[in-house]
This record gives sequence, structure tokens and C-alpha cells, in this order.
Amino acid sequence: MKKIAVKAARRGADRRSIISALFVILLGAAIFTGCSEVQRDPGRIYMPDMGYSRAYETYATTEEQKAELLSKGIHFSNTPVPGTMKRGELLPFLIEKDKIGDTTDYHASRDVKSPLTSMDTVEAERLYLVNCAICHGPKLDGNGPLYRGGDGPFPAAPAQFVGKAQYENMPEGQMFYSVTYGKNKMGSYASQLSTKQRWMVIAYIKSKQAAGKAAAAPAAGSSTAADSTAKK
Amino acid sequence: MTNHRPIVKKLIFSILLPTLVLLGSTSIAQAQDGKALFQSNCASCHNPFKVVTGPALQGVTSRVPDKALLHAWIHNNQKVLASGNPYFNNLFVQFNKTPMNVFPDLSDKDIDAILNYIETAKPPTATEPGNPTTQAAESDNTLLYGILTLILAVIMLILLQVNSSLKKLADDKDGIPAHEPIPFWRNKVYITFIVLILFVVGGYMVVQGAIGLGRQQGYEPVQPIFYSHKVHAGINQISCLYCHSNAMDSRHATVPPLNVCMNCHAAINDYTHGPKLYREDGSEVDGTAEIQKLYSYTGYDPKTSTYDPSKAHPVEWIKIHNLPDHVFFSHAQHTKAGKVQCQTCHGPIQEMNEVKQFAPLSMGWCINCHRTTKVNFPDSAGNNGNKFYSIYERFHKDLRTGKMDSVTVENIGGTECQKCHY
Repeated sequence: MKKIAVKAARRGADRRSIISALFVILLGAAIFTGCSEVQRDPGRIYMPDMGYSRAYETYATTEEQKAELLSKGIHFSNTPVPGTMKRGELLPFLIEKDKIGDTTDYHASRDVKSPLTSMDTVEAERLYLVNCAICHGPKLDGNGPLYRGGDGPFPAAPAQFVGKAQYENMPEGQMFYSVTYGKNKMGSYASQLSTKQRWMVIAYIKSKQAAGKAAAAPAAGSSTAADSTAKK
Repeated sequence: MTNHRPIVKKLIFSILLPTLVLLGSTSIAQAQDGKALFQSNCASCHNPFKVVTGPALQGVTSRVPDKALLHAWIHNNQKVLASGNPYFNNLFVQFNKTPMNVFPDLSDKDIDAILNYIETAKPPTATEPGNPTTQAAESDNTLLYGILTLILAVIMLILLQVNSSLKKLADDKDGIPAHEPIPFWRNKVYITFIVLILFVVGGYMVVQGAIGLGRQQGYEPVQPIFYSHKVHAGINQISCLYCHSNAMDSRHATVPPLNVCMNCHAAINDYTHGPKLYREDGSEVDGTAEIQKLYSYTGYDPKTSTYDPSKAHPVEWIKIHNLPDHVFFSHAQHTKAGKVQCQTCHGPIQEMNEVKQFAPLSMGWCINCHRTTKVNFPDSAGNNGNKFYSIYERFHKDLRTGKMDSVTVENIGGTECQKCHY
């Protein structure tokens, strides 16, 4: 009698150990595979006052700071206070933006001359390639990656700087007006490029146009190219 | 009379055939010319299917059935406006009185070619099928390993059981009395084993968790707009610096203000050119709807191309890369002086639909890079390189004598505490 009871107890213990071992393994497998690869949560931090700035930081405010700023109507990307200018910046462009349907200021901008006397041409090319070439093309042919001869996502043809009389004869002041305030479907680049950088980009375009003309008319080219460089 | 018939037939035939061939070829040539003429004269303000600066042009010949009037308008729109034509005057007011250029040099044939192109052009084909994310395949592997482990463990358990049963049978046969079985929670071997495992695994997890506090590698929040860096920087090849324009000059690379988005999106108002987009959970993204979200943030009305500042409100992007406040980091120094590529720290950002933190941004990670990165030192003759480094005279001497072969960031103080902590 006793022997049977012992046997039964033993069998019961064995079964329990098997079940619990299986359970542990299953749990482990679930934890192992259940973790998603996408981490939507930033995780925890100790000493948050050392992690997050007590001072106002661009794009890195705490929730309280954000609420305080919003209550005062302050956003990060504000326009500069009117009448102020950056240190080391060129004098501002005094012609204002036309009202809708008006072109007076656009025409007036023709007489504005570039204040640049010299510039870093490598930097000017870099600025052109970063900011303009995406539509106007690295070769200034009006066929950048966003347009791709009409196959790209941008629906309007960008200005073709080289090889089109309309843009080759456009005064630099008028180009500056367009870059500053935008023209047709082109937006304003005043927030991305400083006054000086905008003039640099225009000088770069003008130098490429002169080079293009010189290549197109090799006979008279040398003299015009020399002229255009002498002017700058 | 009968003699004339074949001659006439022949004559007619010989005239008809070339004209037919000619007609066919001219119509093809016309279509091509039409496209080229449209691209060079009209496309900067007009699109056949979309309102750009001027109206969408497809169907213009049915809207203005009078061909002579349409030609007159294209030649010199000012004259038509002055004549008081109600349709064109309405249109002029509707498009904010933006003056259209005059085209006195286009011949009637050119204009016909352009109109022919406009009416026959086909809108760009809708989204090409994209490939969904391949991450499912990767997680499949771990599941497979898990199942394999499970099967092996079950086999092990069964074999152990068989072993003990056989032993018990053998013991019974030999007459050795079976002693009281010890349950596993009182079995010392089991207990030691479990305690040891708990100690090692627990210790590892505690240490890892403590180190990981405040670190967010892989952090990939859901942003208010599904802005795909893959579409912008990858497929459309927009330079990182186009939007993050301060990365060269400022501590912050800066999230662009929305006017930068609108530089292109005032015109690009739908998503039709790229591959299909998917969120991390596999659901499809409606790119056009995401662009509409941008319009609601900027208060832009795509129908009238005007902004209503009272409706505009900032997008609350979620900052992903966060360095603790006690570390100073400047983008300008790394991009301008160090000429470090964006991808070095931010990973293959041009392939990410949703951005995640690629680097651990731990101090060890910073220091490691400072130790191995060579600075742009001038060569032994003092040419090229960053001229600022001319002040390090000893390194120049060592380079000349061959004592050093290159100068790393660490050599010029890149691992000093106060370089970043002050």
C-alpha cells in the first residue's frame, strides 16, 4: 500500500517538474520573440535635470517650458525683429515685396547692384548646389532632380539660367528680388540664405552665364569673359 | 479617254501617298516640337494637369473654342485683356492679376503644336508598386530559433524522464528500495543552478539597464507628419543642408521652418511619383494626405494659393537625438572643420522612412570616434589641410621626422574632459 502511494507521489512530482520547466521555456521564448524592433519610447533617464537643459534650448524644451513659451505665443522659428540685422551681415535689401498683382518693386529691383566686391567661389558653388541645383540643375540648365524634364514631382519648369536670353539678360538685382521674396512657384530663400549668401549665389550664376556665353561664341568670347570678371 | 484613266489614277496615287506619309511624320514631329516648345516657353508657369502659377491647361481648346482668340491671347495677352474679353479678364483676376508673358515670336504653327501637346499629354502614371519592409523576415529567424530550442528542451526532458524510469525499474529489479523522491524545489542541485542563473542574468540586466538609462539608440517616435527622409533625401536627392541649413554654422542643425517645406510643396501638392510608403507596423501611408497636413499647419489654401496666418500653427516635431545638458556639442564644428558626413552619426538617413536614432550617442561612442578620426592636418610641407592646425608645431615636427604618421582628434585635445564638459 505504502509503496503505491510513494510511487504515485513520485509520478506527480515528476509531472509537475515537467510542466513547470515547459512553462519557463515557453515564457522565455515569448519574451525573446515578443520584443518589437521598433522603439517608440525614448526610455528612462536618471537625473533629468542633468539630461534636459534648465535654460531654453531650441527644440529641446521640457513640457513645462513648452507650455510657458506657448502661453506667450513664442515659437522657435520666429522671423528677426524688424529693423534689426545680423552682425557681419551686408546692408539689407531695401526694396519691399510687391503686393499681389503688382510688379512695381519687381521692376525697381533691376537697378540694384550687387554689393559684393570679392567672394569665395568654392563656397558660392556649394551654396548653389545645396539650395538651387535641386530644381535649376547642377549645370544651371533648369533641369534638376526635382523636375527631370517634366517627369519629376515638381510641376513647373525651373528657370534655365544658361542658354536662355531671358535669364542671361536678367539684371542681378531682379534675381536678388526673386531669391529674397520668391517668384512664381519658387519660394523665398531669405530664411535659408543670408543676404551675403544670396548675392554670392547670384554672382555664381552670372559667372556661369558668362562662361556659357564665352563657350557659345569662342571668337568674341575671350573679351566678354574678361569684361564680366573685371566688373566683379 | 480610256487611256487617261490609269494615268489619272497613278497621278492621284503618287500625290496621295507622299502626303499621307508626310502628314503622319509631321504630326509626330509636331508633338515632339510641341513638348519642347511647351517646356521652354510655358512650363515655368503652366502645367497641363495642375494649377501652378497659371491655370492647368489641358482642355483649354474646349474652354476657348475660338482658335483665333486663343492665338491672340498667347501672342499678346495684354491686348486681349484691354479689349475687355470677359472670360480672360475673369481668369486674370482669379489668378491674382499675375501678368502672363507675351509671346509675339511664336508662330501660329508653333502655338498649334503646343496646344496639340497640351491636349494629348498624359498625366504621370500613379505610384509604382514598392516593396514592403523586409523586417518580417528577420524576426522569423528568431522565432525559428525559439521553436528549435523548445523542441530540443522537450526532447531533453523526455529523455531525462525515460532515464529516471529505467533507473527506477532496474532498482526495483535489484531489490534496492526506492527512497523518497526529493521534489525539485528542495533539490539542492536545482536550487544552486537556478540561483546561479538568476544572479548572472539578473546582474547582467541590472548593469545593462543602468548603463542604458538616458540612452535612446533606436528611438523612433511617431512624428506628427509622416515625413520620409527616404523620399526627400534619397529618391529626390535633396541635400541635407537644404532643409537643415544651419548645420554648417550653428550648434543645431535646426529643424526647418515650414516655409522651407512650402518652397516645393506650394507646387507639389500630391504624392504620385515615388514608391508606396509604409509605416513600421506595415500600414500604408497616404502621401497626399500627409502633404495636406502640412497645408493645415501652414494655413495654406492650395485652391487659391494663399496663406491664412491665423490658421497656422507650429508642427510639434519630436526631438529624437538628445545629448544630456552637461555635454556641449556643436554641429558646425563637426561639419565645417571636421568635414564629417551627416550619415557618420545619423546612419543611412536617406533610406529611412521614419527616422530613428542610429548611434548610441554614449560617451564611449564619442571618445572612440575622437580616438580614431584623423584631423585634416596640413602635409609636411604645410600645404593643404586646415591652416588652423599650423599652431601644433610639435606634431608638425613629429610628422616630418616620421615619429607620427597622422594626427587624430585625440592628439589635439579631443578627449580632454573640458573639451565637451564645461
